[in-house]
Amino acid sequence: MILTRGGASRVAFDPGAPASLVEAPIIALSNIVKSYMMGGVEVLATRSVSLTVVRGEFVAVMGASGSGKSTLMNIIGCLDIPTSGHYSLDGVNIRNLDDQALSRIRNTKIGFVFQGFNLIPRMSALQNVELPMAYAGVKPKERRERAIVALRLVGLGSRLEHFSNELSGGQQQRVSIARAISTNPALILADEPTGNLDSRSSNELMALFTDLHRQGRTIVMITHENDIAEYASRVVELRDGSVIRDQRQRPRLPSVSSNTVTSSQDGDGSEV
Amino acid sequence: MSNMFSNLIMAVRGIGSNWLRTLLTMLGVLIGVASVIVLLAIGTGTSRSIENSIQALGSNTLTVFGSGGSGASTGTQIRNTNLNSASVSLISNANNAPDVQSVSPVITTSVTATNGSSTYTTSVIGSTPSYLVASNYTVSAGRSISTADVTSHSQVIDIGASVASGLFPVGSNPLGQQIELGSARFTIVGLLASKGSTGLTNADAVVIAPYTAVQDQLTGESQSFSELLIQGKSAATLSLAQSEVQSILAAQNDTTVAALPFNVLNQASLITTATSSSKTFTALLGWVAAVSLLVGAIGVMNIMLVTVTERTREIGIRKAIGARKSVVLTQFLIESTVISFMGGVLGAVAGIVVSRFTIAGVKPVLASYSIPLALGVALSVGIVAGFYPAYRAASLRPIDALRYE
Repeated sequence: MILTRGGASRVAFDPGAPASLVEAPIIALSNIVKSYMMGGVEVLATRSVSLTVVRGEFVAVMGASGSGKSTLMNIIGCLDIPTSGHYSLDGVNIRNLDDQALSRIRNTKIGFVFQGFNLIPRMSALQNVELPMAYAGVKPKERRERAIVALRLVGLGSRLEHFSNELSGGQQQRVSIARAISTNPALILADEPTGNLDSRSSNELMALFTDLHRQGRTIVMITHENDIAEYASRVVELRDGSVIRDQRQRPRLPSVSSNTVTSSQDGDGSEV
Repeated sequence: MSNMFSNLIMAVRGIGSNWLRTLLTMLGVLIGVASVIVLLAIGTGTSRSIENSIQALGSNTLTVFGSGGSGASTGTQIRNTNLNSASVSLISNANNAPDVQSVSPVITTSVTATNGSSTYTTSVIGSTPSYLVASNYTVSAGRSISTADVTSHSQVIDIGASVASGLFPVGSNPLGQQIELGSARFTIVGLLASKGSTGLTNADAVVIAPYTAVQDQLTGESQSFSELLIQGKSAATLSLAQSEVQSILAAQNDTTVAALPFNVLNQASLITTATSSSKTFTALLGWVAAVSLLVGAIGVMNIMLVTVTERTREIGIRKAIGARKSVVLTQFLIESTVISFMGGVLGAVAGIVVSRFTIAGVKPVLASYSIPLALGVALSVGIVAGFYPAYRAASLRPIDALRYE
C-alpha cells in the first residue's frame, strides 16, 4: 500500500491558487475501512485506505468495478460512514455526525456531479441550480443571481428556463456542474461524470473541469477511463479496496477551449 | 417562513406531474366530504320536518284526553269521563293554574261536508276561539269563531284550505256561504290559512265550529269533552302547567295524580323525544359518510406511498445536495395536504350543490357546522394519511435512494 502523506502538500500543477504548506488539507482520510455483511459473510469494500487531498488538486480516482472506488466516493461525499478510520473534510471531523449534520456538510462543503446527471425533473435549469442554495437558506433574489452566474460560467446562459428533458446529456451535466459550484463548496466530487456522454461531449466537459481546476477549485473525480483520468493532476488507483498507485502528473490539455465550448453549445440547441 | 411558500409551489408542481392520478385521489376525498355534508343536511332536514309537524300541533300545548271508556279501566275508575265544563273553569282559574294561558274544550267528530254536489270528508273540531290560537291556526279571510258564537250556539264555521278547495270551485269566495255538515247547515265566517300538510296528517282538512253548535247538531248533548287543549304561558313552564292541570283534575275527581284516568300529551317532551331520535338518525348518517371519507383517506395514503416510491431517486438527489430530513418530510406532507384539501373544497362545493335538491322526499338543510367540519377533516386526512409516506421518504438514506432505479 502506498501512503500519500509524504508528498501531499506539494502540488505538481497548480497555476490558479498559491500553494500553502501549512493549510489544512481538504480531504484527510486515514485507515478508512468499510465492510458490509453479505449473506452472513463480512465483505471489505475498502481496507485501510489513507489519502490526503489539498486545496487546488484535481484527483482522478481510478479502478475497475468492485475496486472500492464507489464506496470511497460515498465516504468522501458524506453519503456513507466508514466502519472505522478517520476522515476530516475541510477541517471538519466527520465522525459521529447525525443525519442532519451530514446534510449540512454535503450542502455547504461538497458539490456533487453524478454519472446520471441527477437533475430534478419538472424543474428548470435555473431552479435546479438554485436548489442547494435554497436548502442552505440563501435569499431568493441572491440565489437567483448566483445561479445565473454559475450557469453562464458553464456556458448555459441562454438555457436558464429549459427543463432537463429539453437539454442534451452534455448540457444536463453542465447544469449539474453549475449546481455543484453554485454553493462555492470546498470540494467538487464527480462520480463518472462522462460515463453517460459521447466522446465529443466528454471532451467539452473535461475542458470545463480543466477550467475549474485552473481557477483553483479542488476536484475529486471517480472514473475508470484512462483518457479521462489524464486531465487530472494526480491519479489514485484502487484495487480490491486498497490504493495501488498514487502519482502526480502533468494534466492533459483539452482539445477544445472552454470558450469554444460555450459558443458551440449555445449555438447548437438542437443537439441531443 | 418564506420557505413555506416555495415548498407550497414545489408541492403543487409535484402534484401537477400526474394530473389524472391526482384528480382520482382528490375524487376520493371529494366524495367523502360531499357525502358528509349531504347526509348531515338530510339528517338536519328530517329532524327539522319532524319538529315542524310537532309545532303544527300548537305552541306550548298540553293535550288532555280520557283513557277511560275504552274498557281498559280496572274497577278503580270513578265516574265515567270527567273532562267537563267544570274542569275547564277550574283550570282557567289563574289562582289554580298560574302557568296556564288558555284552556279549550275540544269535541272532534268526522263528517261529510256537502256544498251542492260537492262533498268532502273532514274532521270537525268543536271548540272555543282560544283553540285557534293554541293550535297555530290563523284566519286568512273573514273572522274567527267568537265567544259570543259559543254562548249563542251559532252555527258558524271556519274552514281549512283543503275543505275550501274540496267544496268550492277555484276563484269563488266561500265566505258567507252555507254548507251542510251531516244534516245541519253551517255558515262559513272565516277561512284558515294553510299550515301545509306535515307528515301523515293534513292540518288543512279541518272545520272549526263552536263546541256548543257541534253538540247541538252533530254529536248530541253531552256533559263531557273528548279532550282539552291547554296552552302554557311558555315552553319553559310547560311541565309546571302540566302538574298544575293534573293536580286540579285529580282533586276534581277525588283521586291521585297517578290514578288519574287521563293521558296528558306534553308537546315539549314530544319534541325532546323526537329531537333525540332524529339526532341518532343524523349521527348514523354522519357515520356512513365518515366511512367514505376514511376510504378517501386510504386513497390519499396509497397514492402518496406510490409517489414516494416513484420519486425515490429525486429524494436521493435532494438529500445528497443538502435537503434535511425535515425539508423532505414537509415537502411530501404539503403535497398530500394540498391534494386532500383541494378535494375537500371541491367536495364542499359539490355537497352544497347537491343539498339544494330534495332527496328521498326530504328537503336537506345545510348544517352550519358541516362545512368547516368536513374541510377540517379533509385537512387532517391529508396530514395523517401523508405522514407515514412522507416520513418514509424523509428517512431514506441518500446513498440507497440514489442507487434506486
